[in-house]
Amino acid sequence: MLEFAISRWQTILKMTIDHFTIVVIAMIISIIAGVAVGVLITYKKSWANVILNVANILMTIPSLALFSILIPIMGIGRAPAIAGLVLYTQLPIVRNVYTGIVNIDPSIIEAANGMGLSKAKIMYKIKLPLAFPVIMAGIRTAAVMGIGIGAIAAYIGAGGLGEYIFQGINRGNDRMILIGAIMVSVITIIIDRGLGMVQRRFEI
Amino acid sequence: MIRFEKVVKKYNYQDKAAVDNLDLHINKGEICMLVGPSGCGKTTTMKMINKLIKATTGKIYINEMDIEKVDPIKLRLDIGYVIQDTGLFPHMTIAENIATVPMEKGWDRNKIRHRVDELLELMELDPEIYRDKKPKDLSGGQRQRVGVARALAADPPIMLMDEPFGALDPITRGKLQDEFLRLQEKIGKTIVFVTHDMDEAIKMGDKIAVMRDGKLVQFGTPNEILSNPADEFVSELIGGNGSLKIMNLIKCKDIMRSIPNIDVDNSVDEAMKLLLKLGVRNILVTDKGQGLLGYVNYDSLANHKATLKELLKPIGETVTPKTTLQDTLSKMFSLGRKTVFVSGSRGRVDGIITMDDLLKAVSDNDQSSDIIA
Repeated sequence: MLEFAISRWQTILKMTIDHFTIVVIAMIISIIAGVAVGVLITYKKSWANVILNVANILMTIPSLALFSILIPIMGIGRAPAIAGLVLYTQLPIVRNVYTGIVNIDPSIIEAANGMGLSKAKIMYKIKLPLAFPVIMAGIRTAAVMGIGIGAIAAYIGAGGLGEYIFQGINRGNDRMILIGAIMVSVITIIIDRGLGMVQRRFEI
Repeated sequence: MIRFEKVVKKYNYQDKAAVDNLDLHINKGEICMLVGPSGCGKTTTMKMINKLIKATTGKIYINEMDIEKVDPIKLRLDIGYVIQDTGLFPHMTIAENIATVPMEKGWDRNKIRHRVDELLELMELDPEIYRDKKPKDLSGGQRQRVGVARALAADPPIMLMDEPFGALDPITRGKLQDEFLRLQEKIGKTIVFVTHDMDEAIKMGDKIAVMRDGKLVQFGTPNEILSNPADEFVSELIGGNGSLKIMNLIKCKDIMRSIPNIDVDNSVDEAMKLLLKLGVRNILVTDKGQGLLGYVNYDSLANHKATLKELLKPIGETVTPKTTLQDTLSKMFSLGRKTVFVSGSRGRVDGIITMDDLLKAVSDNDQSSDIIA
C-alpha cells in the first residue's frame, strides 16, 4: 500500500491540492458571505428567523442532490462545486455569527452605546471580537463539513480526492479508496488544527 | 445645567406613560439622585439625557441647548456613563477600556496614556499593576472603580450613573460611596445618579428626586426630604427612624461646641470659676507649652479635694470634624461615655459634643433645616 502511494505520489498530491484549493476558495467565500449575513440579521431580528431557517433547510438537502440541482444552472466543474460548498457551509457560520453576537452580555453593549460609540464601531470593536470564539467554532465546523462534502463534488467533475475515491470504487481498487480517504482526513485535521490555533490566539 | 421641561415618555406597548410630564432642573456641580421603586421611571429619565431613550414629548436642555438638535454620538461622548454591571469590555485591557472615549475623540497616544495612569491613581489602583490586566482579573469593587474611571476619561462635565454600586457587597459599596464623594469634591461634576436605595440617595445626594409611576413626587435636599416628606409614599421609602438618618447628614463640625482650656498649674477653684463663668461643664487642661494633658469636668471638680493634675482624665478616642453624628453616637456607645472630643489638626482638640447636643441637633432639625452646612 505504501509502495502504491509512493509510486503514484504525483497524482495523489495533485488531487489533494485540488481538493484543498476547492475547499479553501469555498470557505473564503462562505466566511465572507456568512459573516456578512450573520451580522446583518443581528440588526433585523425579524429576518433572523427566516434566514436561519433557510440555511437550515439548505443543510438538510443531501449533498448529492444539491450538486445535481446545480448542474443545470452552472454546468459541471469547479464552479458549481464551490457554489454547492458555499451554500452548504452557510448554516454553521451564519448561525454562530448570529448567536455569538446576540448572546453578548447586554450591559457591555449598553455601556458602549452610552459612551458614544457608533453602531459600526460597536460591531467591529466590541461585538465581533467578543463573538470571535463562537464564530470560529462555526467556521471550524463548516470547514470540516466542507472538506468531507468536497469529496462528493467529484461527482460533478470538480476533481480532488473525491475523484480518486470514485475511481477506486469503479476499478474495485481498495488502496485508492483508502488513500483518498486518508488524505481527506489529513486535510481535515490540518485545517481544523490550524483554525483551532487561530481561535485560541484570540480567545479572551 | 440639565433641565427637563414637560417630558413624557410613552412606550408603544404601554398605556401609561413611563415618565409623565416631568419638570426637573439639575444644577451644575450637583449630585442629583433619582430614587424610587422599580418601574418608577428613574432609569428612563436618566437615559433620556444621553438619548439612549428618546422622549416622546417635551424638551430636555443641557446648558440651555435642546438635546434633540445634538447628534447622539457627539452628545454621549461628552457625558460619562456608568452602569451597575460595569459593562467593561472583557476583551480589552483596563487601560484600553479607560481609553475608549479619548480614542474616539482622537487624543494622541501620549496624552491618553497619561490620562489613563492619572485616572487609575485617582481610583487608588496602581497603574503598574492594573493597566494591562483584563477586567476578569479584578474584583467587583475594582471593576466598578474602572467603570467610573472610564466614564471620567475624557473629563465630561456630566456623569450618568445607573445604580453603579448596586451589585456590590455592603462593605465595598460603603467604601466606594465614600471614595466617590471625596472624588466629587475634587472634580465637581454634574451627576445624575439612579438608585432604588433611599439610604444611598440620602448619603450621596445634593438633591433627591423621588419618583413614582413616572411622576416626580418630591424634589429637594436630603434634609428637606427627611424632615418633610411630601406624602405617605416618601415616608415609606425613607422607612422608620428618619431622625437617625438625619444624623447621617450632619457632621460634627456643624454642631460641636468650642471648649476652653486652662493651665495645669491653676487651682481647682480657678478652674471652677472659669467653668461657671463660661457656663460649660468641661475644660481642657494644658501644660506650659500648651501641650494637651487631658480634661476635667464640673462633677469631678465639685466633688473632690485635689489638684487639677490629680483630677485630670485622658481625652481618649476622638472623632473628627467630618464624622457624622450617627458615627459619633455609636462611638459614644462603644466608649460608654456621654461626651466625646472632636480632634483638630496636630493632636489638638477643637471641640466637644455631648449626648445632649446630639439629641438637640436631631430634634431641632424637625422644625428647621438650617443645620446642614
